[in-house]
Amino acid sequence: MNQPSSPQTPAQPAGPGPATAFHPWDDPEAVPLIRFQGVTKRFGDFTAIDDIDLDIYPREFFALLGPSGCGKTTLMRMLAGFESPSLGAITLEGRDIVRVPPHKRAVNMMFQSYALFPHLTVEQNIAFGLKRSGMEKDAIEARVAEMLRMVQLQKFATRKPHQISGGQRQRVALARALAKAPKLLLLDEPLGALDKKLRQQTQFELVDIQEKTGTTFVIVTHDQEEAMTVASRIAVMNEGRIAQVDTPGRIYESPASVYVADFVGDVNLIEGNARPIGQGMAEIHWREGVPAIRGQAAEPLAEGDRATLAIRPEKITVSRERPEGRNNVVQGRVHDIAYLGNISTYHVLLPDGVIVQALVANSRRIARRDFTWEDEVWLSWSDTAGVVLTR
Amino acid sequence: MDFRRVSLIALPYAWLLLLFLVPFGIVLKISLSDYALSIPPYTPTLDITGGWPAIRDFLGQLDVENYVFLTEDDLYWKAYLSSLRIALISTFVTLLIGYPLAYAMAKAPREWQPTLLMLVILPFWTSFLIRVYAWIGILSSQGYLNQTLAFLGLEPVTVLNTNVAVYIGIVYTYLPFMVLPIYATLEKMEGDLIEAAQDLGCTPTEAFWRVTLPLSRPGIIAGCFLVFIPAVGEFVIPSLLGGSETLMIGKVLWEEFFNNRDWPVASAVAVVLLLILVIPIVLFQKNQEKEQE
Amino acid sequence: MTLKTSLVALAAGLAATAAAAQEQVRVYNWSDYIDEELLTEFEEETGYDLIYDVFDSNELLETKLLAGGSGYDVVVPTGTFLQRQISAGAFQPLDYDKLPNAENLWDVIRDRTEKYDPGHEYSINYMWGTTGLGVNVDEVRAILGEDAPIDSLALILDPANMEKLAECGVHFLDAPTELIPAALTYLGEEGDSQDPEVIAKAEPVLTAVRPYVTKFHSSEYINALANGDICVAIGWSGDVLQARDRAAEADNGITIEYHIPKEGALMWFDQMAIPADAPNPEGAHAFLNFIMDAENMAQASNYVYYANGNEASQQFLNEDVIGDTAIYPDEETLENTYTTSPWPPRVQRDVTRMWTRIKSGT
Repeated sequence: MNQPSSPQTPAQPAGPGPATAFHPWDDPEAVPLIRFQGVTKRFGDFTAIDDIDLDIYPREFFALLGPSGCGKTTLMRMLAGFESPSLGAITLEGRDIVRVPPHKRAVNMMFQSYALFPHLTVEQNIAFGLKRSGMEKDAIEARVAEMLRMVQLQKFATRKPHQISGGQRQRVALARALAKAPKLLLLDEPLGALDKKLRQQTQFELVDIQEKTGTTFVIVTHDQEEAMTVASRIAVMNEGRIAQVDTPGRIYESPASVYVADFVGDVNLIEGNARPIGQGMAEIHWREGVPAIRGQAAEPLAEGDRATLAIRPEKITVSRERPEGRNNVVQGRVHDIAYLGNISTYHVLLPDGVIVQALVANSRRIARRDFTWEDEVWLSWSDTAGVVLTR
Repeated sequence: MDFRRVSLIALPYAWLLLLFLVPFGIVLKISLSDYALSIPPYTPTLDITGGWPAIRDFLGQLDVENYVFLTEDDLYWKAYLSSLRIALISTFVTLLIGYPLAYAMAKAPREWQPTLLMLVILPFWTSFLIRVYAWIGILSSQGYLNQTLAFLGLEPVTVLNTNVAVYIGIVYTYLPFMVLPIYATLEKMEGDLIEAAQDLGCTPTEAFWRVTLPLSRPGIIAGCFLVFIPAVGEFVIPSLLGGSETLMIGKVLWEEFFNNRDWPVASAVAVVLLLILVIPIVLFQKNQEKEQE
Repeated sequence: MTLKTSLVALAAGLAATAAAAQEQVRVYNWSDYIDEELLTEFEEETGYDLIYDVFDSNELLETKLLAGGSGYDVVVPTGTFLQRQISAGAFQPLDYDKLPNAENLWDVIRDRTEKYDPGHEYSINYMWGTTGLGVNVDEVRAILGEDAPIDSLALILDPANMEKLAECGVHFLDAPTELIPAALTYLGEEGDSQDPEVIAKAEPVLTAVRPYVTKFHSSEYINALANGDICVAIGWSGDVLQARDRAAEADNGITIEYHIPKEGALMWFDQMAIPADAPNPEGAHAFLNFIMDAENMAQASNYVYYANGNEASQQFLNEDVIGDTAIYPDEETLENTYTTSPWPPRVQRDVTRMWTRIKSGT
């Protein structure tokens, strides 16, 4: 079933690119590669996965994002075949795979620990899966050479795993998992063991390889930056449920819930009573005696609903004078400044004790900055910058 | 290299010198001497107070006559071969029983493992001799084994005083020495590796043969050595459980020492036994080191 | 406790040990070979602290003696071993001035042990016995018929008998020093022969019956006979009598008898001697003298069912000891016994080799 074929060259480049529109999830005709239907997984009394429905399309780079214990790893292990759901169905290309054992699935996995076989050399590791599939010896050699070339490890072919660096091991693990040209590649925290610089570089390599091979990738990560960098879509998970599935941009800009807004990136949350004001907008009365603030409503709401306005720090402008012509204006005092070199984060204390963060690019030298501690400042943002969330 | 390091390295060597090389030197010296009716029962004895001439005279009297003697009687090489065969078969059977045991222990739930480990070690709390005597009670013609067979309406079997009883005794006695090192290697093996093998197309059985087994090789080798080496020189088990036809070098050595009172020949038998065991181990170790490169 | 006080305590302890060592007598005897009450009596009578250790093979004792520094004051080797150990210089001469009870010794035994220790310069006899046949009479008669040769070596050395007896089990002593003289006697040769050519004649006799021997072992036959695991054993008189008593106690319907073979029986003697390097020869003499006391010696024999070399003790012996011809053979039987001497080293080696060949076929 898992017969390796030569890597497909995608008819059109996959992944997020400005020139092409790759969003099969918006196409009602598109057939998903993977489909979870009402999947629940219990371990004793503990519910790890709680009634999840999810579609993943061919050639997607799909990220499962969430804190540890949210169920993302269990979801991935069900794809690999190491766990089976307590309830529900998982299909791969329309076929139910729940009862298919791991070794018969056209799915390969790159383990967080890499799980390289310590008694085999780099090339033997890569050839391991090919040999199991009964491939011709010459074809195996060619395929191993191709994989080594792809991850640029030709020189290390005869080394044992303990004789190469962590980054090289990571690439061997990737090459081994890809060697059989699986329909689906699972990556469990693939970059977790690398240092930050190598991690960033490797993220782009991963995307590159994913595009070249056209394989569908599902990555599990707790690192939202990593998910944003590599994924075509992200599923943010929380306590066994999917909080939101969307493109990185929409996850960031249009979070569906306070949980997603808070988990992905920094955000200021201002709570109050909502009132719809038309055109998908709503305003929030968050404090007596000050003007209401407004933003785009994430979903329809009724007057008087408790709601939260989520506004990203970089969308807030800081000024000494009250800005004219803006609806979202609040006043406060500079409580703290975090200087990060290229930018500074201003922590502004509002009169009711709420602290709002605002990002300011340091276009001037530090000695000449406009505001300092204890300055009274005005914060403002556009009508569409914030999102009004009821969940 | 500082003093601390030197002394740290020197310690095991001093240990080796004191507990192996010095006794071995004494045995080697006796093996080059001749039988005598005296205390001690061999000649020459070294009298260091005599100074150089005495030492030279002493060295001049040593010869390899006893080793030549070992080659002249087929008893000795037959006993060596028979011991090696019995030890090999016992080691193999111990491995066959010990590996699944160790495997099951390593796969058992974490919280059970200390208990299981305890159960493996538990027999050591009773005297070795008592445990071997217990086997006499089980295997004898009127023993529990034959009582059970009779109860089941089966023919009685003769096990005690045969080589089969010796195998049972050795396998039983040395089983923990096989289980513990294998368990140690299996226990520290990452579960990920088995999943990775399955993910790459191995059935669980194939994953065992291609990954688990090769990775537990160090434990298997250590276990086999720990069983094989003492089994070759085993004396108590064959003399208690074995029959008269059980020919083992330990017994031959005993007879040389106690019945013939020929300490020099007994020592020569011991030296050759040591060489038979040490040489393959050293060669194997060299080979392992090369593989590690 | 400070270091200083603990050192003082340690030194005091060592001094105490040293003082006690002066007063200790260490005796190394065969296992189950004395009435233990005698040990307490000795301590009470003499004030010595008695350390009593046991062994179960002459070889073990000899190895300790020849290695030197055994630490024992009194040891009890069998005559043949004693003779060789004397030539190795393992013992010190006895001081008969300190052994007034030596006058109790029995001439019959003195004469027979003369060959091992001429003039009894180094040893006195403790106990003696014969090597003979332990027979489960009912079982053997059932197999071989009413006229089974239970008082003849033919019982165990004639393959025709042994082939039939194999089904009920036969034990041989694992001792060439016992079986080879027996085989020679059976052939009509001299049991004590030192001639390699004569000794060699024993091999085919023993090899012929070898396939029917259940086990060669020197002590397991006691229990095996008593339990009915085997029906015949060639063994030592006292041991077979022990098996007889155990079977009687167990009341398991098994009757064991001891028979001295009519072809002639090997007679052996366990001799008490003092090692050359004994730490306390004074105490050793005291122990020997205590043992040679007529009543003490009788108490020991009454307990272990072995005959002793002490004539004066015979009036104190129980009737089931002095009156049992298996223990104290009658005049005629005694005439028919023989003693052996140690083989020279070369012959000993050949014999050991032959014994291995007989037992293992190699």
